[in-house]
Amino acid sequence: MRSLQNVTWRLFARADAAMNRLYGWRFNPLYHSGALVVALFLVLLATGVVLLFFYRLGAPYESVAALTAQPWLGRWLRGLHRYASDAAVVAVVLHALRMFAQGRSWGPRALAWITGLVLVFVTLICGWTGLVMVWDVPAQVLAREGARLFDVLPIFAEPISRAFVGERPIPGAFFFLNLFAHIALPIGIGLLVWLHVSRVARAGLLPPRVLMWAVIGLLFGLALAWRAPLGPPADLFQAPGRAPYDAFYTLWLPLSRALPAGVVWLLTIAGGAVLLAIPWWARPAKRAEPPKSVVDESICTGCEQCYIDCPYEAIAMIARPGGTEGGRSALVGHVTPELCVSCGICAGSCAPMGVGPAGRTGRDQLAAIRAFIAARPLGARDVVVVACDRGAGGIVHDPAPGVRVWPISCAGNLHTSVVELLIRAGAGGVLVAACPPRDCWNREGAKWTEQRLFHDREAELQERVDRRRVRLIFAAAGDRAIVAAALREFQTEITVLAGVGAAEPDADVVRECDTAPTPS
Amino acid sequence: MSRLLAVAFVLVAVGGLAALSGVPWAAEPSSAAVIRLAWRARGERVQRCRRRSADELARLPVHMRQEEVCERGIIPYRLRVTINDSLTVNELVRAGGAESDRPLFVFDELPLPPGTYRLSISFDREEDPDHKKAGSADEESDRRETDVLRQTPPHLTLDSVVTLQPRTIVLVTYDDEGRALRLLAGPQFGP
Repeated sequence: MRSLQNVTWRLFARADAAMNRLYGWRFNPLYHSGALVVALFLVLLATGVVLLFFYRLGAPYESVAALTAQPWLGRWLRGLHRYASDAAVVAVVLHALRMFAQGRSWGPRALAWITGLVLVFVTLICGWTGLVMVWDVPAQVLAREGARLFDVLPIFAEPISRAFVGERPIPGAFFFLNLFAHIALPIGIGLLVWLHVSRVARAGLLPPRVLMWAVIGLLFGLALAWRAPLGPPADLFQAPGRAPYDAFYTLWLPLSRALPAGVVWLLTIAGGAVLLAIPWWARPAKRAEPPKSVVDESICTGCEQCYIDCPYEAIAMIARPGGTEGGRSALVGHVTPELCVSCGICAGSCAPMGVGPAGRTGRDQLAAIRAFIAARPLGARDVVVVACDRGAGGIVHDPAPGVRVWPISCAGNLHTSVVELLIRAGAGGVLVAACPPRDCWNREGAKWTEQRLFHDREAELQERVDRRRVRLIFAAAGDRAIVAAALREFQTEITVLAGVGAAEPDADVVRECDTAPTPS
Repeated sequence: MSRLLAVAFVLVAVGGLAALSGVPWAAEPSSAAVIRLAWRARGERVQRCRRRSADELARLPVHMRQEEVCERGIIPYRLRVTINDSLTVNELVRAGGAESDRPLFVFDELPLPPGTYRLSISFDREEDPDHKKAGSADEESDRRETDVLRQTPPHLTLDSVVTLQPRTIVLVTYDDEGRALRLLAGPQFGP
């Protein structure tokens, strides 16, 4: 499982880097695959509602053919509906693969994984019913295959396949039920999407506007330029010949038709079970699981920042046990371990360093950085790269010569006091290399880090720190060139600053941290 | 260069989407014609009864000690299809359902090269001397009479010479009103 994850991740890292070069990380569609699905779903809803007015249950093929022939309204409307549904499958698959590759499927994220799989299944069924509505040759083949599969289940009094033998007209109830399913399933999809994101705070449901409208515009252009496929009309007395099949929804059809219905069900159930079991397989051994965040109530000031910043709503503010004696705050943070993914973002959000996973709290970071400085004193021309060990062009695993790298599990975990301590200890500059914001494995790490460093978000970098010596860049795992270029530029600027007046080691911050309340 | 590549990638992606949205494929690639056998038959309800032994009865709770136990069902039919004097299908068609009391359904598709064939089909009730007609109470007699009227005859045959065009499907089905098998070479119903 791990090796499969690694291979998939390496492929994504390369694809991400290529897309970042072409479109920049803000508009990299691979970073927005999940949000693109939602945007395309909205397009499908809008176009579907209009298409409904043109569809006739009594003459399904004729109504769709007439619509497709309409140059002004029907052609592009049906095309947009069709191509958006196809693009949604691509986005869904990319999103699922990405979550798998990043190991974001187990623990508190298992609910999102499982509901995501159900969403994929429901989306494919919805697409199936949509293709059958057209009642062309592919629709006939799909309907008959569906009937064959359902007939082996002991749930229907009479075989459904009888409806398609040609002995009598296709019952109107069939088209009605199919249409009903095609309308009802999206309602289920809406509910599942809500459940899918129910465990995350501030779910980013839509991609950036530019990207969203660019994708919709492209699909619209395609619908204008290229008529949505429509096969010959279904004929129950003709063997289904060559016709255009939608590969996104019917890729399984050749295999399914070649196998007995029972075997198809067994394969489907087995495949589904394997996918559903991924959260259990992907979960690391108990001893290797990263520790959950813990709140040190003796330090907590009840400021609520960790509660606000937590991307997984794993922190709640509760009444302080023991009351407010000694002027303590009435509220105190409380981590629900079942919801915590151990991202450590709360550690970066806590000015007094009272929360975080063991070993990665602000205090732990300060202790580690002191050892880092003590191992080799920093010079005025030295740049320390504080790099996310999952992104940052892989600089953590393959440091550039002459550069000192301090790895961190997530840029959002970084406490700004670490940056201040490095500058005061004599470093010429600190380059924080975070993953691109929509690619953060912990969702909001890069966003909060930027705000803490440059926009005075709580637990902010103190005003006294020279911002010219602090730089934040966003770089994915494959963006080595971006890191190298940013580093060169920053080093040049630092050299100039060193000529003006070198940063002097300053013990104040060490003293301040030493005098902070100690955990009880 | 980078912009050109960006545009090129978009064009390839959109083109790929359009191409995969309508991949030409033939579900039935050969030119074979098909004889499709499809009908629903109402068989005769029968039951096979036996008396429980004293030991069996003793093992049962008092309130379940019924001396005679009967298994009900529908008499199966044997389907035989002969094409140009060659027996192609010879199978027993059993009633569906957990208690084999649902109607009998025939569904089979026989692909054949285009051409003219002598087709002979028989659908015969498989009589079993151990079976007896279901129900013995007088009040059921009316229902049984109705059943008999609606039942598929014990023997059905169809003998015909059919000419099959490439990729056409000929349907053999049971005409409930005419109480006979019939052959359809195209839709026999209105629009």
